[in-house]
Amino acid sequence: MAGRLASIASQMDKLYEFDREPVSLDKLQSGGKFAGLFAGEHVAATEFVIGAFFVLHGVTAKDLLVGLLVGNLLAILSWTFICAPIAVRTRLTLYWYLRKIAGPGLTIVYNLANAVLYCILAGAMIAVSATAVGLAFRIKTPALNAVFPSSIGWVLLTIIIGGLFTSLAILGFEKLSRFAEVCSPWIFIVFIAGALAVLPRLGVRADFSNFWEIATTKIWNGIPVAGQDRFSLWHIMFFAWFCNLAMHIGLSDLAIFRYAKKWTYGLYTAFGMYPGHMLAWICSGIMVAAVGREMNPGLMAYESAGLAGVAGLLLAGWTTANPTLYRAGLALQTITPNWPRWKVTLAAGAITTGLSCFPVFFVKLLDYVAIYGLVLMPMGAIVFAEHWVFPRLRIESFSAEKRGWAFNWTALGVWVGTLALCFLMPIHLYFRWLPGYFIALVAYVLLSLGRKS
Amino acid sequence: MTKKGLTALSLVSLAACLAAPVLRFLGKISPESYKLIFLAASVGWFVFATLWARRR
Repeated sequence: MAGRLASIASQMDKLYEFDREPVSLDKLQSGGKFAGLFAGEHVAATEFVIGAFFVLHGVTAKDLLVGLLVGNLLAILSWTFICAPIAVRTRLTLYWYLRKIAGPGLTIVYNLANAVLYCILAGAMIAVSATAVGLAFRIKTPALNAVFPSSIGWVLLTIIIGGLFTSLAILGFEKLSRFAEVCSPWIFIVFIAGALAVLPRLGVRADFSNFWEIATTKIWNGIPVAGQDRFSLWHIMFFAWFCNLAMHIGLSDLAIFRYAKKWTYGLYTAFGMYPGHMLAWICSGIMVAAVGREMNPGLMAYESAGLAGVAGLLLAGWTTANPTLYRAGLALQTITPNWPRWKVTLAAGAITTGLSCFPVFFVKLLDYVAIYGLVLMPMGAIVFAEHWVFPRLRIESFSAEKRGWAFNWTALGVWVGTLALCFLMPIHLYFRWLPGYFIALVAYVLLSLGRKS
Repeated sequence: MTKKGLTALSLVSLAACLAAPVLRFLGKISPESYKLIFLAASVGWFVFATLWARRR
């Protein structure tokens, strides 16, 4: 038994041996793989929540459509022009590239923050999936203002689902990723089917003649529910843009694009953005309107697509929690270099499961997504500066690596200082990252220039 | 079964998944029938698409 375990652990270690070195040319992937990857990853359980929250925040139909079209385009362009070019030049994950720039000490701090943030995101997906299973056991979905778990049933449910997701991730990440490919098109169909099937309940006629009227009066009618602030076009546009901020501007997706043949592969993210972050959000908005604007993804899925809808919600949660656990594991791996892959995944899964018990991460998902991107964004600006700006200004790049620094104190100062300034900005949380990015970029370049002189 | 056969059956299942809500939207079937057809077509998709993926 012990020998078999050692053998499995050894095989899993081999699966990830490329994490720490630049990807070799024979490992590069085709564009179709990227299209499939993004299409699958961005139709997740959280889509059931995000689109529904837009309705609860009282956005109008026109603001929603324009905001999603423009915001998603900006996200695609961020992947294409900021993340992918650095990835194909370095062929490294952000963690290993950052180590050269920020030093191993700061990389550890960054990775710890990154791993915790990934775990919270995966935890939110587990919580959303739990609302589906909870229907069968009459476990109440947490209220919109809930922070702590309201019942032992909710805690048990999230622990069981989290444990299951983690076990599956440990037992066979690669095979399960292949199964996730099978799930992706079907999960997308669940969103479309669910929305289409509940349209008659909202009063939409079979010839679609009154769809816009229903959309503007019964779905996205501009009236927020009690306790939710009203969203405008700008909120939607910025949300769609920063929803994956850590991945594109924050450069976490260097881990994915290091396998790209060309930087233009960034455009393949459109396969994730428009079906997932536009159509699926619109569909979940329709579904929540059909259940009387009650934030209960499990109920929405069941009412709109029956048992298949519930299964869809569970699978959507799992297929997205799986790569998120992988990313969290990658982030933890630099802190625990001697740990085998399964142990790192187990640690990430245990943290994720613990966090999923707290409904605050699920009921405040939109704000959490904003904070998550904001926290990691300054490091993206620092890497961008080192990669593109420093060579042009003849500032020494990778000082931490060349001089053997454990901490690049300039980078740490810019990171903390930017976050402090963002915290103090008198604007909505969703808009703070953009000025914050330029503050981080300019401050890091100027401080490094000062150090040079 | 051949790979082509599995591909065809997978696509038919997925098409049935889409047809069910369309028929429901047009008022041709009841909500219960829609959910049942959608569930059956979904099972079909997972069976045939998984077998197809294993042969890939």
